[in-house]
This record gives sequence, structure tokens and C-alpha cells, in this order.
Amino acid sequence: MATSFDALTAAQLAAGVASGTWSAVEVAHAALDAIQAREAEVQAFVQVNPELALAAAERVDAARAAGEALPPLAGVPVAIKDNMNLTGTRTTCASRMLENYESPYTATCVQRMLDAGCVPVGKANMDEFAFGSSTDSSAFHPTNNPWDTARVPGGSSGGSAAAVAAGMVPLSLGSDTGGSIRQPAALCGVVGMKPTYGAVSRYGVVAFGSSLDQAGPFGRTVEDVALAMDALVAGGRDAYDSTSQEVAPSFAQAARAAAEGLAGRRIGLVPAFMDAEGLTPEVRAGVMRAAAALEAAGAELVEVDLPHVDAAIAAYYVIGPAEAFSNLARFDGIRYGYQEPGCTTLAQQSARSRAHGFGAEAKRRQMLGAYLLSSGVYDTYYYAAQKARTLITADYATAFAQVDAILMPATPHAAFRHGEISDPTQMYLSDMYTISLNIAGNGGISVPVGLGEDSGLPMAAQLVAPAFADERLITFATVIERGCAAASGEAVLGVAPAFAGKGGELA
Amino acid sequence: MRELNEVLEDWEAVIGLEIHTELTTLETKMFCNCKLTHDDEPNTHVCPVCLGLPGALPVPNRRAIEYIVKAGLATNCEIQKHSMFYRKHYFYPDMAKNFQTTQGPVAFAMHGHLDLEVTGRGAQERPACAFGEAEAASLASASAGAVGLSADLSRMAGEKGSGEATGGALAGLSSYDTASLAMAERHADGSYTVPIRILRIHMEEDAAKMVHVGGEEGRIGGAAESLIDYNRCGTPLIELVTEPDLRTPEEARLFMEKLRRIFVTLGISDCSMEKGSMRCDGNVSLRRRGSTKLGTKTELKNLNSFKALHDGLAYEICRQAEVLEEGGEIYQETRHWEPSRKRTVVMRTKETADDYRFFPDPDLAPFDLTDEFIERCASEIPELPDAKRDRFERDFGIKRADAEQLAGDPATADFFERAAAGLSGKAAQTVANLIVNELTGYLNAAGAEVTLATCGIAPEQVASLARLLAEDAISSNQGHEVFALMAETGDDPAKIVDERGMRQVSDTGALQAVVDAVLARCEDQAQQYRDGNTKVLGFLVGQCMRESKGTGNPKLFNELLRESLS
Repeated sequence: MATSFDALTAAQLAAGVASGTWSAVEVAHAALDAIQAREAEVQAFVQVNPELALAAAERVDAARAAGEALPPLAGVPVAIKDNMNLTGTRTTCASRMLENYESPYTATCVQRMLDAGCVPVGKANMDEFAFGSSTDSSAFHPTNNPWDTARVPGGSSGGSAAAVAAGMVPLSLGSDTGGSIRQPAALCGVVGMKPTYGAVSRYGVVAFGSSLDQAGPFGRTVEDVALAMDALVAGGRDAYDSTSQEVAPSFAQAARAAAEGLAGRRIGLVPAFMDAEGLTPEVRAGVMRAAAALEAAGAELVEVDLPHVDAAIAAYYVIGPAEAFSNLARFDGIRYGYQEPGCTTLAQQSARSRAHGFGAEAKRRQMLGAYLLSSGVYDTYYYAAQKARTLITADYATAFAQVDAILMPATPHAAFRHGEISDPTQMYLSDMYTISLNIAGNGGISVPVGLGEDSGLPMAAQLVAPAFADERLITFATVIERGCAAASGEAVLGVAPAFAGKGGELA
Repeated sequence: MRELNEVLEDWEAVIGLEIHTELTTLETKMFCNCKLTHDDEPNTHVCPVCLGLPGALPVPNRRAIEYIVKAGLATNCEIQKHSMFYRKHYFYPDMAKNFQTTQGPVAFAMHGHLDLEVTGRGAQERPACAFGEAEAASLASASAGAVGLSADLSRMAGEKGSGEATGGALAGLSSYDTASLAMAERHADGSYTVPIRILRIHMEEDAAKMVHVGGEEGRIGGAAESLIDYNRCGTPLIELVTEPDLRTPEEARLFMEKLRRIFVTLGISDCSMEKGSMRCDGNVSLRRRGSTKLGTKTELKNLNSFKALHDGLAYEICRQAEVLEEGGEIYQETRHWEPSRKRTVVMRTKETADDYRFFPDPDLAPFDLTDEFIERCASEIPELPDAKRDRFERDFGIKRADAEQLAGDPATADFFERAAAGLSGKAAQTVANLIVNELTGYLNAAGAEVTLATCGIAPEQVASLARLLAEDAISSNQGHEVFALMAETGDDPAKIVDERGMRQVSDTGALQAVVDAVLARCEDQAQQYRDGNTKVLGFLVGQCMRESKGTGNPKLFNELLRESLS
């Protein structure tokens, strides 16, 4: 009897490949079929790479045929955010600037997924250069939320989240500079994790805000995300990223540890967050469902305060654009990328290539950054932002002296419609719950908590752990996942209903 | 235009140097594992990091940090344990990322000094009026901050948000500016010693090399095409910035020479000004003697030899004096020294200060150097040229100027020590003379491919030749000849002398016979000498040399002739 590909988790797919239930090539074909059946409506991908996928799958099958021990995610299809280099694909950052840019090397985080046996099926859509919270700023096309295609999947890793939510792949990689993994995960009803800054190598991920960026996985279950995390940190500290650190691959183990319950563990709730203006009642109710699940497992709920966290958005919109200005200065149309034809001088060529190669938001952030770093205002903005950063980091440290993790919303509201938020500053506010973690560096995870009673759209809760205690996020998120499933009577949120079983089968 | 010495009587030149040195002896680049090369095919040693490709990240070269710490220690700098890299932004095709990774207000090495000994004719460039109390006022009014040597640096030093050692290092900067001013000490013979303060030595990466083909020579404007070689991009570079304590072109030249000797001794660079691995920019302004108000400075480029450094500055000082004396104005601009036409020409005018938008590089964690690290660097520093010069002078009894020259190059110093082993006084000085004159001259004439290590001349040979000279076995003229034969054949000098019968005869009996024969033949001249015409003695010595076929000791002939004629 045929099994629908999208009903299987990464863990199940890998087990099936390892046991010979399916070949990796069969799984890859099922994934490519699933993508083909859904892509017209979801538009999650910038590129789909069947040849690359099948070649990788064939290598897995050959290894198995040769009797070699298979790596933990052997044969599991994965989508890669298009700001991550992968040789054999273009890395476009969803920008005209890099529309035809072939990856000259492979990012460490991507390589580690490949080393774990993953099969790369394509590059996922995103906001241009990761500037945005809707994926609408992609230079190529928007991505639609599988739960309601009139709505955005969130962003900037919207393609990565939508591909998982629509059942095109069980796993994907995204990057998170201000919430770009956790916010789309929340809006698409999947699990998305931003590890602590430094846990996953940034080498090969096109930089947006170097002190804020962190790559991480999406999956439909916490266990799958845990398996991906183990793959990402296996191999230790990356010699190519001097800000990366050694992290033990204990995430799958941490998922299993959820069964032991949470007796003696303390979970913080931030009253100011739960009562914040703009937080919709259904999101609040969803977070409280998560709180109830944690409490039911034996955890104690404690109120904690993050007194300076209000400054996080302001600090972020100084540090982020400043670093983006610097990181994107290299795109000048000289060595690679979009080059304006017909220019007669160097200055003209750089200026016009940049003017026409970048979209509006990318230009807005770079101009903002150029202003914020200029000598007259540096102290007013950049220095003040760094001071705020120090205070926010200290706030978290103080809170974590009292609690093991903090529970909060991931986003203030459910997925919004395309074009619904046109004011950039309103768009920036949709990251109000995620940004402070990038400022402080801590890891966070967005985990589905069922559907909202008003919108019928996915709701999520966000957990935050102390720096380099990311395995705790997996344990606690597993408890929330199971608690919410038990309460609703459904296994997990799973694939968006409109796309479930819509193509891609395994015999 | 007036002569330099004349100009400097009326005007004080305030000079500061910015010296870039590529750490050519490292194996790899500053932030990636690409090989460091000078001459390989263009763009053969590149990777995503040094090409600044999207997603690539820098990882600092630990050995480069060791090198700069050594450079700092060897120039009496304070090593800053806590410092970080900054990004300096500007758009140019030779910058792969359009920002340069360099250091912020706190450099690895700060607040050092080198003492210059200025002797001979060069010492006369600093007029007598430029010593004593007037000089203290001059120095106090020309600190780096006052000159605006680096406006960005001052700006960064003023910012509190850098996250760098608050207080500590930066507080030290201000107190340093007024303390221990570089007062010159003048000696009776007109020579003087002067400490030249070093503001900082910071670490940065070099840009790619550009070649502009067609159009105006060597300039991007109008070029038919511009080629970029990224082999050089990311080469570890240290930049030393002096305080504007230099007052004459000679001092600038001596500072550069001294620094070069130190860096070569440390083994951190080949320090080739010709190949551009050591590059110097000179900042110079003039003010009337006695004035404490600084003039407008110009920045000189293309000072790519010691001579160019001296002559370029000398020209620029004279040019500025002429402009000012004619009531003109000096513009803040960058000027290019043209050695062939012996003049400086405007490269670009700085109308507005560039805004480089410095901020700490988030890809590179701040450094916290440990005491152990710094101590290990210190322990690896070999004997430095000054100490070696003093030791050579003391232990071998050779002239200070020769000791200075020998000690300046590690290979030469080592050669001298081996050749002069166990010698002192006249014999050691003879070894020194042979190396400073004969050997250096020979190597210079032999071209760049022949070095001390490859020329085939052993210290033992030079020692042997020195012994022959010191024992008067051969004359100094013969010494020159023997050296050439030794270099050519590789034979030991003693063997050459013996085989060719060049050994001087110093047996007074044999020589007296020659003298007697000559006096018998040249009775007229002998009589002239007796009559008081002592000049004729030279003729008679020459006759003796001819009679002995050049083997007689001319000094002994001289003595014997005097005795015979008295």
C-alpha cells in the first residue's frame, strides 16, 4: 500500500531508507513529485534541483548497497534557504543582484546536512537578502502560506517554512537574524529553531547582520528538528567561522528526555509580553496552552522581568542595518552579480548596478546603515544600540538565574495577507518577540500549539533558553508538542490540510 | 628654490611617517589559508575569503599576531592585550569586500619609540637653533592629535561605544601625548641623538594589486582596461604610525632604515622597498621657527627607496617654503614623488575628510592576549641591531659606524661574527672593513640573485684574508686583488697569495739589499732627499717596489730608506 510522502517525518524516512523499506532515490522522487504537485500554489522554491537531489540519493543507496553504515538522516530530502551556498546551485538571496550567481563553494551548515545523508532538493525562497518578515520582498515571486495561500508564510525564511508546512520536504534550513526562522515557523505551523549565536557555523551563509545571524532547521516535529540540530553541530566547531563554538550533539537525546517529565524545572513568563499591545487573544491563548502543557509535565511557572527588552527593536534596527550596509558593500557589480550594461566609468557602474540590482527594502536598510555609521551620528545610534544590547543580554542572564527557560509568543498575530502590511515599521513590529534573542544571542524555538480560535490559522509559542543550553529548548518543546496534541486529540499540527496527501507517494 | 639647509634655518619641518610592512615571511594570508606569494601567476592564490565572496568569513592568522607583537616589543611599544578588528569602508575594486579589515582606536602595539643617532653631514640638516628649549615647545605643539595624523583615529579614540578597554589604553593615549617628548641631544661634534615616538602599530590586510593598461600611465582614469590580481589581497600588513617628531629628511631616512633593520632581524618581512613589501608615506608641513601653530600638511607617496624618502621630503620642504615665502597657500593634498624629474606632483586633493564608517568587525572576536603569549613572543626576539652594534663595538673594538652597518642585517652580522671569531682590535676591524667594503661591494655588483648565503664566500676565507692584511703579508691593494680572486676561484686567500707569489717580503735583510740597489742606481734622488726634498721618498719607495716586483712591504721600504738616507 502506498504511503503519502508528506505523512512521514524525517526520522521515519531515514529509518525506512536504512531498513530498505524505500530507497533514497524513491524518497527523492517522492519529494520531487510532492514539490511539483504543490509548487504552483505555494511557490516555496527559487530553484528545484532534481539532478542534484537524485545524485545525492544515489550515493546514499550505493553506500547502503556497499554495506556501509548510513548517516543518521540518510535519504531525507531537505530544502536550503537561498542565502546558503551549495555548489551545483545558484545562491541568489532572492535578489536580482545575484540572480545568476553560481555557488563557488558549500556552506558549512549545508555540508553538515549533506554529511548527515540529507538529499538537497532545492533552494527556498526568502525576503531579498533576508530583509523582511513576509517573503514578499523576494525579487522573483512571493511565497504563499500553505494554510491560506492568500497569506504570507512569514519571513525572511518563508520558503523554507512553507516547503515543510506544505509537505514538500520534511526538513529545511533557514537563517534567523531577527526572527527569520521562528516567525515563519509560527505562521506556517511548523517547528523552527534558532540556536544560540555561535552554535551553528555561519560560513557560507550570505551575511546580513554578522553579529545577529544564525542558521537553524525547520521540521514538522520537534524530534526532526533535534535530528537536524545534531547534524548541524556534529563535527564540532567550524575552523572557518571564528565565532563558532563547540556544541555537543545531544539534541535527539534531549527530545527523548521529555518523557522524564519536568519536575523541578522552572519556566518563566514575562507579564509585559503577555499583556503587550498588539498581541492577539488567540496567540495569547496558544501560549497559555503551551504553559499548561509544561505545567502538566511538572514544571513550575514563574514570572520574570526583562526590563530593557523594549529597546530591542530599536537596537536591532541600528545594528542590523549597520552590519548589512557593511556586508552588502561587496555587491558592486564588478566581480560578480548584476552588472549594469553600458556604463562608462567605474563609479557609474557600481552606482547603477547597485541601484538596479537591489530591491527597495535592501536599499532602505543599506542607506539606513550608511547613515547610522556616519561619523556625526555614530555615538547617538550605534553606541546607544550597543549599550542597549549589553543591558538586554544582562536582563536575560538575570532571568535565567531564576528559570530554566522563558516561554513567550513567537509572533503577535497569525499570518497576515499579502500586502496587508505596507508600512515597513509596522512590518518590523511583527518581530517584536523574536528580535531580543538575536540581540542577546540566546537560542529560541517556535513550536506549534494548535490553531487559533479566531483565525483558524496556526498558533505558536516560543521558548528561550540560556546561551548554549539549546538542548533544553528541544526537551521543553517536545513536552509542549505532546501536551498540545493530547489536548486537541491530534497527533501534531502536520501538513497544511489543503496540501496533505496532494502528491508524492512511496510504495 | 632655496637649498634645504638654508630653508631649514628659517622654517621648521614637521614630519610624520606612516609605514606599511607586508609580513612576507608568513606562509599564509591574514584571514585565510591562501599562500603568500610575490611572483606567482595572478589570481592563483585566492579563495572565497580573500575574494570576499558572499558568505565567506575571516579567521585570523595567529602567527601574524605573533609577528606584530614582536614588532611592537622591538620598537619599545606597549602591547595592548585587548584590541579588536574594525571595518574601514570605501569602494574600490582592489578591496574585495569594499571594506578593509584593520584595527580600531586600540592597536596591538602602541606608544613606542626608536632612538636615532644622526651623524655626519646628515646631522647638519637640523640647524643649531632646532635644539634645546625651543624644541620642547615645538614637540608639545605637534603631537599626533594636533597634527590630525589620522582624523579617523582621533574620532575612534573619542568614541566610547567601541567596547574596547574603557579607560586603560585610551586614557594612556592622552597622557602619553604630553609625556616624554622627543628631545634631541646634541653632541660636541654636531651629531645628535633623538628619540622618535611611535604612536601605534596596527594590523590590517592588504588590498589586491591593480594594473591599469592603456591610457594615462599607471592611472585608472582613461585606462583601456584595469586588471586585478587578488594574490596580494589579504596579505598581512602592519602599519606603523610615528608621532610627527621628525624634523629633517635625514631623520626620516634614518628612522626608516632603522625600522627596516629591526624588522629584518625579527624575520617578519623581507622589507623590500623595491618590491613594495615595505612602503612609506610621509606627512610634512612647515612653520616658521619659533611658531607653535602647525602648517597645512601634504602627504607624499611613492617614496619607495631610502633615497626617495629623503629626496622627496627635501623637495617638498623646499617647495612648501617657496610657496609660503611667495605668500601662497599650502593645500592639504596627496602628492606623488617623481624621482626621475625630482619633483612632487598633486595626486588628489582632500577637500572633505573621508568617512570610513569604522565599526568593530562582528566576524572577528576581540583579542585578549595572555601574558604567556606576549612573553613567548618576547622570548623569541633575537638580539636587536642596536644591542648587537653595541656588542660588536665593545667586544671586537670595531668602529661604531661599521658595527651599525654589520649589525643591521642578520646574515651579515652572523657572517662577521664567524669571520671575526676570536679576533679584536686591528684584526677585527680588518674583517669589518673587508665585509663592509669588499664583500658588500661584490654582492651589490653581482646583482639581486647573489646573496651572502649563495655567493660561495665563507667567513673563514674572509678571516684568512684579514689575517694576511693584518700581518702585512699583503698590501691593501693586494687585498683587493686577492678578494676578487677568492670570489672567483673559491680558493683560500693564503693559497692564492702563495701560488701567485704575492706575499709581501718583510724580511729586513732582503729588503735592505733592494734599498741599497735602488739607492746605488738613483744617486741624484738620494742626494735631493738629503738636501731636504722629502717628497722624493715616494719615488724611491716606488723604485723599491718595482725592484722587488711588488712583493716588498712598502712600509718597511719607507722605514729602511729613511734610515739609509739619514
